[in-house]
Amino acid sequence: MELLTQPIGLSHYLVVSALLFVCGVACMATKRNLLGVLMGIELVLSGANLNFVAFGSPYLQSKSLGMDGQMIALFVIVLAAAEAAVALAIALNYYHTHATVDVDKADELKG
Amino acid sequence: MDTLPLLLGTAWLLPLASFALILLFGSRMGKAGRGAGFVATAAIVAAFVLSATALTVWLSAHPIEAPAGHSSATADSAEHGAAAKENHAADTHASAGETTAAKKIIPPVAGDWYELGAFGTKRITIGYYIDALTIAMFFMVTMVASCIHIYSFGYMHEELSEVTDHQVTLASGQHLHRRGRFHRFYQYLSLFCFSMLGLVIAGNIAMVFVFWELVGICSYFLIGFYIERKSASNAANKAFIVNRVGDFGMIIGLMAVWTGMGTFSFGDYEMKDAQGRETMRPGIFSQARPAGNDFQLQAPDGMVKFAKRDEIAEIVQKSENAADAELQIEKRIDGWRKDGFGYGWLIVAGLGIFCGCVGKSAQFPLHVWLPDAMEGPTPVSALIHAATMVAAGVYLVGRFYPVFTPEVLMVIAYIGCITLFIAATMALVATDIKRVLAFSTVSQLGYMMLALGFGGWLAGIFHLFTHAFFKALLFLCSGSVIHATHTNEMPRMGGLLKKMPYTGITMLIGCLAIAGAGIPWIIGLSGYYSKDFIIAQGLVYQHANPLHGWLFYFSVAGAGMTSFYMFRLWYMTFLGTPRDKHVYDHAHESTPSMLVPLVILAVMSVISGWKVPFTNLELPALLTQAIPSGTEEGAVSNLTKFYIPAEHLSHESGVHFFATGIAFLMALLGFVLATAFYGTKRLDPNDARRTFATLYRIFIHKWYFDEAYQKIFVRPALAISGWIAWLDKNGLDWIADNSARLMGLCARLDDWFDRKFVDRLIDLVAAGTYRLGIRLKALQTGSLRQYVMLLAVGLAALFMIMNFYWNFAMSKM
Amino acid sequence: MATDHYPHMPPINWPSVFFLFFAITACAFAVAVVVTGNIVRMACYLVVSLSAVAGLFFLAGAEFLGAAQLLVYVGGTMVLLVFGVMLTAQGPFVSMRTGGGQWVMALLIVCALAVILISVSTIVPAWNKPLPANEKPVASTASESARLGMGLLGLRTERLESPPDPAAGGMSGYLLMFEIISVHLLVVLIGAAYLARARRRKDEG
Repeated sequence: MELLTQPIGLSHYLVVSALLFVCGVACMATKRNLLGVLMGIELVLSGANLNFVAFGSPYLQSKSLGMDGQMIALFVIVLAAAEAAVALAIALNYYHTHATVDVDKADELKG
Repeated sequence: MDTLPLLLGTAWLLPLASFALILLFGSRMGKAGRGAGFVATAAIVAAFVLSATALTVWLSAHPIEAPAGHSSATADSAEHGAAAKENHAADTHASAGETTAAKKIIPPVAGDWYELGAFGTKRITIGYYIDALTIAMFFMVTMVASCIHIYSFGYMHEELSEVTDHQVTLASGQHLHRRGRFHRFYQYLSLFCFSMLGLVIAGNIAMVFVFWELVGICSYFLIGFYIERKSASNAANKAFIVNRVGDFGMIIGLMAVWTGMGTFSFGDYEMKDAQGRETMRPGIFSQARPAGNDFQLQAPDGMVKFAKRDEIAEIVQKSENAADAELQIEKRIDGWRKDGFGYGWLIVAGLGIFCGCVGKSAQFPLHVWLPDAMEGPTPVSALIHAATMVAAGVYLVGRFYPVFTPEVLMVIAYIGCITLFIAATMALVATDIKRVLAFSTVSQLGYMMLALGFGGWLAGIFHLFTHAFFKALLFLCSGSVIHATHTNEMPRMGGLLKKMPYTGITMLIGCLAIAGAGIPWIIGLSGYYSKDFIIAQGLVYQHANPLHGWLFYFSVAGAGMTSFYMFRLWYMTFLGTPRDKHVYDHAHESTPSMLVPLVILAVMSVISGWKVPFTNLELPALLTQAIPSGTEEGAVSNLTKFYIPAEHLSHESGVHFFATGIAFLMALLGFVLATAFYGTKRLDPNDARRTFATLYRIFIHKWYFDEAYQKIFVRPALAISGWIAWLDKNGLDWIADNSARLMGLCARLDDWFDRKFVDRLIDLVAAGTYRLGIRLKALQTGSLRQYVMLLAVGLAALFMIMNFYWNFAMSKM
Repeated sequence: MATDHYPHMPPINWPSVFFLFFAITACAFAVAVVVTGNIVRMACYLVVSLSAVAGLFFLAGAEFLGAAQLLVYVGGTMVLLVFGVMLTAQGPFVSMRTGGGQWVMALLIVCALAVILISVSTIVPAWNKPLPANEKPVASTASESARLGMGLLGLRTERLESPPDPAAGGMSGYLLMFEIISVHLLVVLIGAAYLARARRRKDEG
């Protein structure tokens, strides 16, 4: 019940971001669909972003990262978007050539 | 007197230019190189003209004083104003109580053209030493050479076209055909003329040696001119190798001179000393016969010091400074010299130089090469092996005369006497026309040596000149005969006078000249005078040294034999009935180009002993100017107690009268005997041959010298060579083979090691890397999800490790 | 007010309630993304999860970032993803199921990772406690987005108020990074368009 009455601390955010990160990793590790893997990446990035924002929030810490945390998070969002665009283009290309988006099939470079 | 070196130097170098031209362009000079003959002849004739000019220059500078007569050519010369120095010399002679006649000393023109190298105070140069002897030699050599160059146009004309050598049979049974070598012949002749003139003009003994070897090589080339004939190439080799023996002795003499005198130069020479001042340094002659010693022979300082080098080293060690030591040595050196130290080295030097002369002048025991050298073309025999090169030995003895001690002169006399007698006996029985002349040459050279050894410098050198003329003439005549008959064998000739009158007459003149014919005590041919000089000198010598008197008798016997074999030759060739019809029919008189030189030489043979009308000019008087200072008075040997008589003693009228009589009688005896055997056939030569069968056998086998040398030197040399070859094949080759095999084994071992260990190591490294790569390849699965898993594991591991090593407290630090 | 009825209970802290709501939503849908096998459902769950994260951004005081999250991810990236899903539709008989073993493996590793990360998140005592009331910042009058904009243009307006901290890196902003990102985006868009353009297969031509 304390959770409802007390203001939350930094650790809570960190736990949430850790869970999101772990879910993303699990998603990447278990999905055979290329798009699924991409979604996992989005989750991981989102978790990391949450971390930055939490550390930059003045409400959670007296000496926060301040504006830097938000700024980095902003860049990460932009880069994640760019990454998603390129990754989708690659996925389309891969689909064009192999008629599938199964990452397990994409092992032509194995030793 | 700068003109003389210029004139003679030009005369010397002209044949070299001709040689170079022919060498480069010879085969392109006219048809078959005919132009080469003109080039060479032009060069030698020009040299002759220059020599004649030099002679007139010399005579105008040093006119010949009117002699009181043959008998006392030098007796009164002291009256004619002599320089103060010579007067002083004459005075000292007089005070010494000797019967003396001071000669006017004519200084030689000596100097250097070019310095080849200097070693401290010692140096080697190209220089000149010109005195009356040099001028006369130049005149004689260029004249005879000119005649022979002209003569060769006729004699060698076969060489202008294709030549068929009938003496060479090929394996196919045919005779050898080859291209003519006309230009080659003249090329060698030019080189020879250059070398001979260089030998004569040379200003130092080293230069003499160089040209000595050059004439040797020319002789080698020309003897082997018909190189395809086995006999010719053998003869060339023999001449060259036998000469090497003599030259070895000469090198020893050269070393003695260089060590003992510190110079090779004949005359005094200028040289900058350490302070840069020009100082005169004494040459060989000045050192052996210093003016301060009245030109008497003494051991040079260097030789004395060399003989006493141990004592000198002791003095230098004991004394405080160098100057002091030098002073002490100077003080003692005369005492040492009196005790005879250094004299031995002088003898060594003299004998060494004479060794070279023995080889070159074909003296006993190295005379064996000259008869064989007749394989060369006859003009070559005339020029090189009669007139000039072989006389170079006599010339060198004459040139080096001041340095020869009485003991060396005695050796020279003995060698000359033996040579003269042996060669004359060989000539008595030889049937090859050129060989008779060759033996005669050896014999006459022996005469010259004998004369020089007797102390008759003038006699020996004078005979050199007269002999050059008449022996060249005789050879050219024989060449003319050979050219006409194509044979050398006298028994196949006979009666040729009708067919070849000019040749016959000129050859008769030559025979008379060499025999020394003349009207006794009034006039004669050149040989008459020169042989008289020798016999007279021998007479005086015999008088002075009764112990060595037999030398004189042998020389007299030689004169008789000379006359005999020369007329035998002439009778057998030109008189009598033709013995070979075929030869006789083919014989013909030679072309004018061959006859003109014959006539010129015949004239020279007649007149070269005469005085030029209305002047005092005569050859002996000219040569008298060159008599080395201090040798006129004879000498006494301190070691063996014998005397070298003064030469002017032989010119005393009594002695001369007697000598002329003996010489003429001997010549007449020889002539009569020859006429009896071969002219009128009153006596049968075969009878004599049977009677003296043993002697005949010895003579015809040339005293078995060749056989002896074959046994003593050639066979052992061949045997030793055989052993060494065997050793080489079985010993050294074995070592070489086995070391090679050992090397092969080592190489194989190394190869094995390389393959088994070094290569293996490298292979192992490569294979290991390869296997590692193969193993690591498995890690590259290509499975994306696996990579993610690994990433996660890595991340977890990273956190674990950080947790392990890093704690919160540390972050606060 | 309701607080009066429960005097022993402190009043409900609404920001905490909202935090719990958004956090649970985000985590739950993230787990749903992992668990579900249908790609379309995955996309839908992801949208919800990311939206919840945007809510968390709002709660942390990053309004502009939350908005950007909603716009870029939910609005842009997810539409892109759905397009991708539709364009790469699988044939009916293609199975892309992951094997059980792999699932177990992944879960093991992921759980280990989660334990570690959560333990690390709670290890610092200061992070566990909420910020004391007296340190709470006074709500700024300037809007957050304006500050971000100025920061991107190279001016750190928030530093004007406090004395410059030498360890904080001075007043420099993010202009260069902004420019780089802009160009990067351009390149990426062109590159993506190039890569994804419709190409005929060679054997078709």
